[in-house]
Amino acid sequence: MAEGHLTNAEFFTKLAALLDTNRDKGHGSVYLTQKRMTYSSDVAPSPTKVADDPLWDTHPENPLPVIVRASNTKEDKAKDGSRRDKPKEKFSTIVQPDELDRFYVRYAETCKAGMSALKKRDRTKRKKDKRKKAKTDGEKKG
Amino acid sequence: MPHISTSSEWLAQSSLLVKAYPRTTRVSSKYSVLSPKVSKVSKSRKKAAAAGSEPAAAPVSDDASATPTRLNIATFTLKTYDPDSGTCLKYQTNKAAEVGRLVGSLGKLARVMAALPEVVEDLNAPIDQTGTHTPVPEGTGKDVKVGDAKGPPGGGAAGGGKKKKKGKK
Repeated sequence: MAEGHLTNAEFFTKLAALLDTNRDKGHGSVYLTQKRMTYSSDVAPSPTKVADDPLWDTHPENPLPVIVRASNTKEDKAKDGSRRDKPKEKFSTIVQPDELDRFYVRYAETCKAGMSALKKRDRTKRKKDKRKKAKTDGEKKG
Repeated sequence: MPHISTSSEWLAQSSLLVKAYPRTTRVSSKYSVLSPKVSKVSKSRKKAAAAGSEPAAAPVSDDASATPTRLNIATFTLKTYDPDSGTCLKYQTNKAAEVGRLVGSLGKLARVMAALPEVVEDLNAPIDQTGTHTPVPEGTGKDVKVGDAKGPPGGGAAGGGKKKKKGKK
């Protein structure tokens, strides 16, 4: 990636901003990805190593960092002029193993705050169901 | 591309996949808000108009500006994909209440990716009841563990309390 990785704190501010712009826009997608951070030596192990231990990557000596990426989608110009071309926005951060727990607590908070278009818990519906039930029961009795 | 119906099942399967292919597996999530199709909008308007007096009909009055946002379909999709084996596991929800828990399970998967030990036995633990016991587990001796094993089948809250006391002594 061209622009390098962000620190965890920077990542959260940018992620919050990304989710906010998505909300203002009213539509669109935000992608989040996580993956083990592998170094070049891990990517191409010597053939003897693989032959000795085919499952070499399942038990590394030390805990490895995890890379978390976030992005949105490219936007094309709309014919009616309501949208302009916007490039894809993407950024990433590397989370060290000892910071994972703290990172994910904040990650959950940021996501919960930002993903506001999802359905809220709907209590009115349950009440309606109860009423319906009561009605049907009443009909049966009556 | 299999869609898994429950999030716990998705977590269980995904963590197995991450354990098997820790180097190549990636977990991605997609939060997407889509404007509904034009046909859907007009349909729902007709419906609302037909319903008439119902409160759902309110947005009809203030037209295009209000209706699309109300009808927008937001989803949160989790996907575990391993390019080596070609395995793909998906789970999708539209409930805001689930986001916190799902991101928590992303955290659990991240721990597996980082090759850290799992915090609690999140896959087979019957949640809170045994959770109170887990901080004590292997170090303190076998008596406590036997109590634990008996705990869940016993079921009742009172039984749990007794076992706790035994553990303390």
